[in-house]
Amino acid sequence: MDRDLRIAVIDKNPLRAAILEEGLREAGHSGVVRIDDTADLLDRIRVIDPDVILIDLESPSRDVLEQMFQVSRTVARPVAMFIDRSDAAMIDAAVDAGVSAYIVDGLRKDRVKPILDMTISRFNAFARLKDELERTKSQLEDRKAIDRAKMLVMRAKAISEEQAYALMRKTAMNENKKIADIARSIITAAELLR
Amino acid sequence: MTMKLRIGYVPLTDAALLHVAKAQGFAAARGLELDLVRETSWANIRDRLALGHFDAAHMLAPAAIASSIGVGQMQTQLVAPVALGLNGNAITVSRALFDSLQRSAEGDLADPRVTAKALAGIARKRKEKGEAALTFGHVFPFSSHHYQLRLWMRAGGLDPENDVRLIVTPPPFMVETLREGHVDGFCVGAPWNSLAVAAGVGTILHSGTAIVRNCPEKVLAFRAEWVLERPAEASALAHAIGEASQWASEPSNRTALVVLLASVSEPGVSAETIDQILESQPPEHQAPPRVSAATATGLRLDPAAIAAHRSHALWLFAQMAAAGQVAYSQVLAATAAAVYQPILGPAIAGPIDAPLVFDGPEFTPDDLPSYLKAMGIAPRG
Repeated sequence: MDRDLRIAVIDKNPLRAAILEEGLREAGHSGVVRIDDTADLLDRIRVIDPDVILIDLESPSRDVLEQMFQVSRTVARPVAMFIDRSDAAMIDAAVDAGVSAYIVDGLRKDRVKPILDMTISRFNAFARLKDELERTKSQLEDRKAIDRAKMLVMRAKAISEEQAYALMRKTAMNENKKIADIARSIITAAELLR
Repeated sequence: MTMKLRIGYVPLTDAALLHVAKAQGFAAARGLELDLVRETSWANIRDRLALGHFDAAHMLAPAAIASSIGVGQMQTQLVAPVALGLNGNAITVSRALFDSLQRSAEGDLADPRVTAKALAGIARKRKEKGEAALTFGHVFPFSSHHYQLRLWMRAGGLDPENDVRLIVTPPPFMVETLREGHVDGFCVGAPWNSLAVAAGVGTILHSGTAIVRNCPEKVLAFRAEWVLERPAEASALAHAIGEASQWASEPSNRTALVVLLASVSEPGVSAETIDQILESQPPEHQAPPRVSAATATGLRLDPAAIAAHRSHALWLFAQMAAAGQVAYSQVLAATAAAVYQPILGPAIAGPIDAPLVFDGPEFTPDDLPSYLKAMGIAPRG
């Protein structure tokens, strides 16, 4: 009875899916299968016959899974969403994290909860990672734009680096903008005037 | 004081009035700032509305009813003060199925009775030969697209449970599934049929209006609880939708409407395609054989088309019962009807545009049991 659970993960982001898969394996779930967000999803699911399906909320295939609750003959066993109205907080956390879970009916709740907890925390961790990467990337780009604009100003006005930077900062403050935005305007203007 | 409302929508042409209400300032004039949030699935729309992530949503009318009467996931009482339009769907079939239909049809292919009969013949032959059943895609278990397919097939004597496969296929995958032969046809809303035709993989067989005239589609849905707490805001948004509808049906605003909708559409949907959808003309790339004005989507955004008539809710509830998704009861019927709350919306004069099916028994909103009996549904319980 207490065989390994088969867990299907539908996520078009390979990095996030890998992070989740790793977490599930660490927690002792070896039967994790990643499915592409493809056209013949129902057939794929029928073959895999999972106990739990985890799906990225950005996937339009969620509506395909909804049908499995209506037409149980498409899968071997009837399926029901584990999280019901009594678990509103958990649904909320899952949707916030950007994931939803579909669970085969009859699966014990205490077996499913840790899986869902793990999924939510990994999805949230991935979102933080993505934010951080994007922030770092945009900081780097800001830096580059400011340096380039500084050179342009130095050359155009024959002033020192410190003076160029001070001028840009003063303009940014006056216009209530970020210095990186001012830098980008200078670069654009310079390209236009070239 | 401006109140900010987060509203979920699926990028379809019939989300138009929400975009108009925002872009043309009708919402702002009523003190509402609309934050329109694009969603990828109807399940997400339903869940985020139920969880309170959205204040309101562009929602399949039958999905709003299903949530409210406790069928399917995430049961929550919802309220729709206005609809967001009528019609807009079409049935598209693969080139191969179109050819088979053309060969076996006895009569005019524009007549859904003729095509339904021909389809039944093809489905039976496949069964006899032991081939895979004909498969049709639609967008959600609780959708008029699903019911339109059933009503069409019923006219040919097909049993949708056993003679064919009806499966949910996300609209962004429809063209691909048709090309790869995972489905033989589908019923979907604008602009997806036009895109399948443009991609050269399908032919629009029937407009939704050839199956059901004045077919209820999407509604503006709120949680009932939310409406009880903020009736003025719910009503203000419904009235802004009313003004958007008037603006959108003004011929002189056509170009502005097309430009607006093109700017919020999926990539690959051109202004020309949108113009054609609104014009209800068959798309330019339409395969030539005999498909004419009958394939027009008939999408309506005019003020008469947004009235939340209770008879529309009852018609949808009856289709849910006919599809075996719910067993009829007087209480459930009344709960379904109560989802539509026209009292909160703008006053809409004129006669009710009742849904009219091309075939089958006449719909009697005051006597659902008789209608369901005529549809061949035995009363349960």
